[in-house]
Amino acid sequence: MTRLARLRKRTSSGLALAVALVAVGIGYSFAAPSSSAQDTGLSVEAMAGQEIYENSCITCHGANLQGVEEQGPSLIGVGEASVYFQVATGRMPLAQHEAQAQRKTPVYDDAEVNQLMAYIQTYGGGPELPAEEDLRDGELAEGGELFRLNCASCHNFAGSGGALSSGKNAPSLNQSSDLDIYTAMLSGPQNMPVFGDNQLTPENKRAIINYVQTLNETADPGGLSIGRAGPVPEGLIIWVVGIAGCVIACFWVGTRS
Amino acid sequence: MTSTSGPSQPPGGAQPMPGNPPQPGPGPSDAELARMSREDLVTLGGKMDGVEVIYSEQPVRPGSPAERRAERQVAAAFAGAGLSALAFMVIFVAWPWQVETPAGGYDLSALYTPLLGLMMGLALTLVGVGVVLWAKKLMPYEVTVQDRHEGASPEIERQTTAATLVAVGNATGIARRTLVKRSLGFGGLMLGLMAVFPLGGLIKKPGTALFETPWEPGMRLLTLGGLPIRPADMRPGALQTVFPPVEGGARSSDGVAMLIRLLPNQVDEFRPRPGQEDFHWNDFVAYSKICTHAGCPVSLYEQETARILCPCHQSQFVATDGARSIFGPATRSLPQLAVEVDADGYFVAKSDFIEPIGPAFWERST
Repeated sequence: MTRLARLRKRTSSGLALAVALVAVGIGYSFAAPSSSAQDTGLSVEAMAGQEIYENSCITCHGANLQGVEEQGPSLIGVGEASVYFQVATGRMPLAQHEAQAQRKTPVYDDAEVNQLMAYIQTYGGGPELPAEEDLRDGELAEGGELFRLNCASCHNFAGSGGALSSGKNAPSLNQSSDLDIYTAMLSGPQNMPVFGDNQLTPENKRAIINYVQTLNETADPGGLSIGRAGPVPEGLIIWVVGIAGCVIACFWVGTRS
Repeated sequence: MTSTSGPSQPPGGAQPMPGNPPQPGPGPSDAELARMSREDLVTLGGKMDGVEVIYSEQPVRPGSPAERRAERQVAAAFAGAGLSALAFMVIFVAWPWQVETPAGGYDLSALYTPLLGLMMGLALTLVGVGVVLWAKKLMPYEVTVQDRHEGASPEIERQTTAATLVAVGNATGIARRTLVKRSLGFGGLMLGLMAVFPLGGLIKKPGTALFETPWEPGMRLLTLGGLPIRPADMRPGALQTVFPPVEGGARSSDGVAMLIRLLPNQVDEFRPRPGQEDFHWNDFVAYSKICTHAGCPVSLYEQETARILCPCHQSQFVATDGARSIFGPATRSLPQLAVEVDADGYFVAKSDFIEPIGPAFWERST
């Protein structure tokens, strides 16, 4: 191929790229302004929430909250309870795609969470935050029974969490606030089953929260929790520390005689 | 051990034979015995048994400061053991034992159990320490040797011993007195049976209990609180543990089931087991909560993957695939409970489970 032909080929492909870019730009300028012009029905708070959404959430959840295949689920109808749980505990926005979102330092403050909640709530409604102030206003014994039936199988009898399949896990409840637990039950985040208000009434939920937080505040007898996971770590400590100590003592006695 | 010489030996018996252990010489006379000190007697006894002390040493000189020091150490250990045991009892009675944990802190009651353990351990350890110190520091260090013959006992001893045993047996007359022998056999056998017999009361034929649960057609599915369930009570992705409406149903170990509402996208993937196509009701499925491996309650439900996990041995079942086992030691699917909604809009069972719930047993066919 001559140098001239090569030059002509390079110019023509560059030209095609330029034309394509211009076409996309023009097409976008037709589409984009029309969407922002429609959002007149939103409250001020919801509009602020929309801004946050379009900065941080839109990549995975889509422009109309419809979700993106392989990226993120639809948020239509998830409700503000779900937004509160995911954003206020720092799970959303995701740091990276992994087995499940982990609790971390929240990215948004309370006001911004409220704005996001207002925005998402305009899409199909969904479970709302509880109106009550005191979320521990429930009977402790009943809460314990409900906790052991509905929650303990995954979250452990002392709320220490436990493993699920394929790298997922049920998180420990010892950092959870009352509202975290309430909204988690209400919205069923990620793989947790949903416990709607007809399944566990608000009174039931408050009883469970009372029980969980009572567990969290109870000091461990002997001063060491050993993960609060029960006989397995306790047995491990006895075997490794206790029996190793006895063996060492035996050796010591043997060297002295 | 052969006996030493003396008047008890039968006349003409037990002449020293070749191979016999060397007989000790004639013992001291009664007058000599009376003059012997205790040490002499110990030495004599050892010699009669073929025991010889070849080395003996006192660890400390009697009356020396070292001996007094060792004695004080032993005494301190034993006294410490006694004081620890006493402290155990005092703590047991007097220490504040009722656990009261003020928010975020500990009070003395948190030390109750650890202190009890510490004192008991200290008491036992100090007894041991005292005994070891006593043996090592105050008792003489000795090396002794005892002669043992090699191989089997001499022929004469074996034959006489066997003859003695047979003679004793003959003296009872058990071989001749058949009436006594048979009645003794009968009595012994019955006594043995009597000891085993009460175990029979522990054996109970299970009947059909392993094949049936309390569920019957038309029975409502109840929550732990005894409330019936409407489809609208459960949102997609919800799980409800349900019990049969019978006496003690919420405590029955075999009737408990999980009512699961699948997510919309899971409904399309739902594949019931052959012959159980009409067991589910719209997007609701109900499975036994008892694992088919070892009978643990399987209620770790992952609503996004529709997997049911067993916490005991990590078996996994897929709710959208007839609760087929896909991981772990369980091999059978969880039995499915056929459900529908009655005229009042509440969930009811269409029948009992069609197969035995829970782990394997000999007679089960599926």
